[in-house]
Amino acid sequence: MVGDFVQFLPALAKGAGTTAILCIIAAVAGSLLGLVIGLMRSSSWAVVRWISAIFTNFLRGIPLLIILLFTYFALPLLIPGAIFSQMVSGAIGLTLFVSAYIGEVVRGSIESVPKGQFEAAEALGMNFAQKFRYVIMPQAMRVIVPPWVGIILAMIKDSSLVSVIGLVELTQAGKIVGTSTMEPLVAFVLVGAVYFVICYPLGHFGRWYEKRLKASGFNVPHQATATDILDEEPGPRVGGNQ
Amino acid sequence: MITVKDLHKSYGKLEVLKGISCEIDASQVVCVIGPSGSGKSTFLRCLNLLESITSGTVVINGHDLGDRKLNTSAVRQDVGMVFQQFNLFPHMKVLENIMIAPVKVAKKPKAVTREKALELLDKVGLASKADVYPSALSGGQQQRVAIARALAMDPTVMLFDEPTSALDPETVGDVLQVMKRLAEEGMTMVVVSHEMGFAREVADRVIFMDGGVIVEDGNPAEIFDNPKEARTQAFLSRVS
Amino acid sequence: MTWYLGDLIPYMPLLLQGLWISIYISVLSFVFGSVLGLFAYLAKASRWRVLRGISGAYIEVVRNVPLLVVLYLIYFGLTQFGVNLDPLWSTLIALTINNGAYVAEILRAGFEAVPKGLREAAHALGMNSAQTFRYAILVPGIRNVFPAMTNQFILLFLFSSVASVIALPELTNQLLRVNSETLRTFEVFTVGALLYYVVSSVLAIGSRLGEKRLFRW
Repeated sequence: MVGDFVQFLPALAKGAGTTAILCIIAAVAGSLLGLVIGLMRSSSWAVVRWISAIFTNFLRGIPLLIILLFTYFALPLLIPGAIFSQMVSGAIGLTLFVSAYIGEVVRGSIESVPKGQFEAAEALGMNFAQKFRYVIMPQAMRVIVPPWVGIILAMIKDSSLVSVIGLVELTQAGKIVGTSTMEPLVAFVLVGAVYFVICYPLGHFGRWYEKRLKASGFNVPHQATATDILDEEPGPRVGGNQ
Repeated sequence: MITVKDLHKSYGKLEVLKGISCEIDASQVVCVIGPSGSGKSTFLRCLNLLESITSGTVVINGHDLGDRKLNTSAVRQDVGMVFQQFNLFPHMKVLENIMIAPVKVAKKPKAVTREKALELLDKVGLASKADVYPSALSGGQQQRVAIARALAMDPTVMLFDEPTSALDPETVGDVLQVMKRLAEEGMTMVVVSHEMGFAREVADRVIFMDGGVIVEDGNPAEIFDNPKEARTQAFLSRVS
Repeated sequence: MTWYLGDLIPYMPLLLQGLWISIYISVLSFVFGSVLGLFAYLAKASRWRVLRGISGAYIEVVRNVPLLVVLYLIYFGLTQFGVNLDPLWSTLIALTINNGAYVAEILRAGFEAVPKGLREAAHALGMNSAQTFRYAILVPGIRNVFPAMTNQFILLFLFSSVASVIALPELTNQLLRVNSETLRTFEVFTVGALLYYVVSSVLAIGSRLGEKRLFRW
């Protein structure tokens, strides 16, 4: 029985590899998009701020599964003749999903930088890009790590949903192996263990880093929640030229 | 150098500045005094556009701040500002703090800027601190670095927003010393301050503000020894 | 591609029925999960090492393994023991187990955040442990926990869509069915997204209003 199983290990390993690729793509792309979304929240143009707010608010108000079904089934219809592979659709869906959460964390970390830093940068004649590039983001980046890790951790788990659109990633591989071996219990315990081995140390790292930051007096923004979007009107940080 | 005509500033319904007019000449050192809430800091912040102007005109060194096509960055490069809370960039060493704006904003060559920055540090008496982070400095030292940072842009006007209010008493003297030397070198300075001794000794002119208007404007001896307005008298008797 | 909602109209009752099932399983597993979470929190804070260990392991495993894998374990995995649970029960159990671990963490964080001074002040007034908890800790603790709990409920509601994969006829499952019957893919998933969005927004706004009303101090 266990011997049977060994021959299926490569299939599970391949699935784990697919999950890894998917997650790396979505983590990189989602972080970049999230950075843009978060920075848009500091714009001096109200329209830009509202676009960012609506994007964030909407994506966080619907299930990831719906986003994935949409990017897989509906999105290709918008581009005549396009067929997206499951990997591409999954990566797009996951990227959009995490970018909304990362955008909120970026906004929170920008808000954690004292107002005087914005004013000092402006008083020296820096424009928007210079101000954020040299003064604000280096300071914001320090506190962004723990909530960012939290989001990536959740994303790794959530990536299992991409199996629903048929991508043979780790969870789907487990399902296939479970069916062919007639040992679904073993298969899913094994799959769960792989996720655990990746996520558990990541969570520990996040908490360790957060403690260290707090010990040195930083105000760490907590992970964005579904209701805190209502906390305040989006707006630029400085009462300058609005 | 600076011309202000009928400057108004409101936050919603709250009018903080109710028509300020004054002329400040080149090389003049002007101290703005007044009770808290009198609008003196807001007035100062309007001069480099940290606050937008509700109505009226402000012209600094040829820049009309009400002009729609105004290059905000150019004005700010021309007008140095020193804050009450220093606002040094905590993630940069002292020298980097001074060099960042000349190099990145004014696009000056690094080597030249570096020399200039070291000179300025020497001038404010902190030549040995070039390579430390701001957090390793006392408040007074940080404020002197902040002055050097502003001077590194070669401003024609320097604004000081209560530069000594957040300092421990024993470090105030060094900062005032640096400001005094700057005044003697002919810098145009507008200083919002509670340091009456400094105002009396260094300023060419003292403006007393209360309730969003200029109540009295004259040379220090007149204002301090012989104030004409009742509000000025009341304020001075409270602070001295 | 033309936008046409007409084909969907006959299916609206079906979709609303699916939405109702989504809400229903969310509420049930939130209630069960909160009770489970309360016990997990108490066990983790208890004096007995074994209890602390069990509770800690439960919380860590659930927080580091995908909900979908837990659902598959229950729905497919348990058949190896001859336990055949239907989709509804499998979903309720998976969501309850999932929610319990997060609720335990929310309770821990919320009650740890109650200022120490309150406990000390209560002791100084001569209150015993039970009185201290009842009068000094409980209400501030609930206030700390309230927003995180409502947020957790919204997340649970959104994640209940996972049940569609084991053919529970909740909203997402019905959307897939309507999609294959009408082939109005774009419209179907847009309407589906809006239904989820409306419910989660109403919950979010309701939570914020409730917080304001309940905790005026």
